[in-house]
Amino acid sequence: MKLFERSWRATAGAIGLVAGLANAAAADDIVWARYGDIDSLDPHRATSTLSLQVWSLMYDTLLATDAEGLPVPHIAKSWEANADGTEYTFSLQEGVMCHDATPLDANDVKYTIDAAFSETTPSVTKGSWGPISDVEVVDPLTVKLTLDTPFVALIPFLADSFSSIICDSNAGAEGFGTTSAIGSGPWKLVSWTRGDRIVLEKNADYTNYGKLAENPGAPYEDGLIITVVPEPQARLAALKTGEVHIAEPPFDDVPTIVNEGDLSIIVAENTGQNVFWEFAVHRPPFNDVRARLAVAHATDAATAISLIYGDLSIQENCPVSRGVFGNDQEFCAQYRPAYDPEKAKELLAELGYTMDNPLETAMLVWTGGNRQKLGEVFQAQLAEVGIKASIEIMDIGSLNARVRQENETTEGTTGSMDMMTWSWYDPDILHALWHTPGAYRGYTSPELDAMLAETRVLTDPEARKAKVQEVFKYLLENAIHVPLYTPGWEWVFAVRPEVEGFFVAPFVYPNFSDVQLGG
Amino acid sequence: MWRFLSTRILMGALTIWITTVLVTLLIHAVPGDPVQIMYAQSQGTTPEQIEEVRRSLGLDRPIPVQYAMFMERLVQGDLGNTIRGGQPVLDVIMQRLPNTLVLACAAMFIAVLIGVPIGFLAAYRKGSLTDITLMIIAIAGISMPHFWLGLMLLFYFAVELGWLPVSGNGWLNLVLPALTLGLSNAAIFARLTRSSMIDVMNQDYVQTALAKGLPKALVLRRHVLRAGLLPVVTMMGLQFAFMMGGAIVVENIFSWNGVGRMAVEAIFQRDYPIIQGFILTFSVVVVLVAITIDALYAVLDPRIRRS
Repeated sequence: MKLFERSWRATAGAIGLVAGLANAAAADDIVWARYGDIDSLDPHRATSTLSLQVWSLMYDTLLATDAEGLPVPHIAKSWEANADGTEYTFSLQEGVMCHDATPLDANDVKYTIDAAFSETTPSVTKGSWGPISDVEVVDPLTVKLTLDTPFVALIPFLADSFSSIICDSNAGAEGFGTTSAIGSGPWKLVSWTRGDRIVLEKNADYTNYGKLAENPGAPYEDGLIITVVPEPQARLAALKTGEVHIAEPPFDDVPTIVNEGDLSIIVAENTGQNVFWEFAVHRPPFNDVRARLAVAHATDAATAISLIYGDLSIQENCPVSRGVFGNDQEFCAQYRPAYDPEKAKELLAELGYTMDNPLETAMLVWTGGNRQKLGEVFQAQLAEVGIKASIEIMDIGSLNARVRQENETTEGTTGSMDMMTWSWYDPDILHALWHTPGAYRGYTSPELDAMLAETRVLTDPEARKAKVQEVFKYLLENAIHVPLYTPGWEWVFAVRPEVEGFFVAPFVYPNFSDVQLGG
Repeated sequence: MWRFLSTRILMGALTIWITTVLVTLLIHAVPGDPVQIMYAQSQGTTPEQIEEVRRSLGLDRPIPVQYAMFMERLVQGDLGNTIRGGQPVLDVIMQRLPNTLVLACAAMFIAVLIGVPIGFLAAYRKGSLTDITLMIIAIAGISMPHFWLGLMLLFYFAVELGWLPVSGNGWLNLVLPALTLGLSNAAIFARLTRSSMIDVMNQDYVQTALAKGLPKALVLRRHVLRAGLLPVVTMMGLQFAFMMGGAIVVENIFSWNGVGRMAVEAIFQRDYPIIQGFILTFSVVVVLVAITIDALYAVLDPRIRRS
């Protein structure tokens, strides 16, 4: 019976859907097509960019991000930290309302954080909240967070949609995260048909305190439909017919779209996405820094990117990308191994490799986004100095598993290299990647561990920046994390001519509050 | 008849069970686990926390234990929760299964409606220009990849003519995916119908009936059609399974919200409970269709049920 009872509603709903009852978009609805769907409406239950983008529309956060990617006040109009960096007190804006017309106050903040640290169902991003040990509601508009140890990455985290404030009226609500979600953001949930579409309506009472948008209040358009169209050519077709207003186009069609001029192309900036070389460092050849440096010196990233991506991507010199705290192109350029094929050949000769006896390796590449073509250009560049790299293309799941497996293998002499891609809003990502044991069990050292640990506790921004850049220097000089380019995926949007005001905020958050459908 | 049916049902149950074992082994053979993928690229979470999430989902247990947990839940009518989003797998599947079934049925309807008459006509005009032309078209239809045909139809009917929508899940949205899936299968039915009809037409009893002077139309209707359609009915069962499989590609092109597209996403995300649930549902549907076809076949051909 359980099997039947639980499913009949969903089945009936789907039959209704097939009957075409839920398919219409009103004339004044914005339609945004993406390749995939969200995982959950509950910000504690997912990690995907697709989910984050939707949460950013439905929920508010204590802080927001400015155009440069830096945290600014939003629902919290101000905040103070104690000298040790173990206590943060936030003063909230008065009059913020949840979608169910209840006020958003310190209790909602406490509810959100307590849920993140729930013993039974903690947030899947619990670790990113840091070592919070207590949340105190000082008064309805003041909330104090106590941390076991300093964790400066908390502040940028509170500006990201991972920390979306969930109104406490969601407590105990049946279907929270799947059929219901009460936030306080500019858009309210109407419905979510998994795999098909999310229908949002504007929050007419919205006040924008800090989110990056010119519009200080409610969105201009009545509705926003976020629909799933997995096939890139179908997204382009839907853009051409006007079924869809905004979508990620097929990458290879971008030059044609630009030439035709009917649709405009918008490229996200300050995405935090970083594409880089990393190596299997626990066995030859890449356990020797000279082999890693040889690859870095043999790679002409600027030329390769220009060839494959034109001006849609740019070379990145730092281990964290533009818009992320500590990024300084000039600083990093001093330490990033420059393109120098002769230097690469010298290093390889020291290791006993020649053009006739090349260094053989496997180059692991994530499928999609024209990365295979880019890999082929890099393959040719490496071949010019005597590195014979065989390209292996795989989906991201296989790549992650394989890279870890490569690092856990200490036997053999043909260690791999991989074109890895990560994104985060704070240099704390380097802690996840390179602090013992490391996300992929790759390079670690006590010296690097100590530096990374310090980047988490230094409360003075200048001191932290200096330490973060010390980490950059270490990673670059030792060719552990060789940055290639930014951004790397999901950053190009094609927009119909009647759409005005669309832009993409830092860290790939499309904003629809300013959008007006003209024509 | 009952013995015939019960044997088929038992065999079907065994097939489904073997499928669940195989799928459990195969999905774990693919590199990459769902939690690693969930945290890939966009998450600064500690490795310890990733391990904690793996433990909470039971992914740190040996595969036989995970399979036993799956079966334990299954007998209670529970397919578990999705790894991404933590929603009941049964709900997620049942929300989309009707869409795939509607698509497969519509495609089958188109395939039979177009394929059988063409095959019959080609058989009737065996060796003529009509026969050759129709069979060349049929071979072209079989050879055409769904992906290519789907995009061509989409660009012509949706973009150029603007008659049909590009994506979505209404009745109008059903036309193009059903045509894509149906047309290539129509070609298969046309070829099969033709060869089957020619076989039957060459039978002695048909020749005798014609020699006796019975009208050709009557012979075709009464003697040829019924016998000649038997293999076509069998083929319908097999093709239905293929259509469910083919729907995976077609659903992606036309954004049709069916279980095929869901399965592709789940495989990329290594969402084991959805993959297991999908394969289970898929095999149940295919087995049920096969049993139905067997039963239908038995009704049409008394020799089957007597054996």
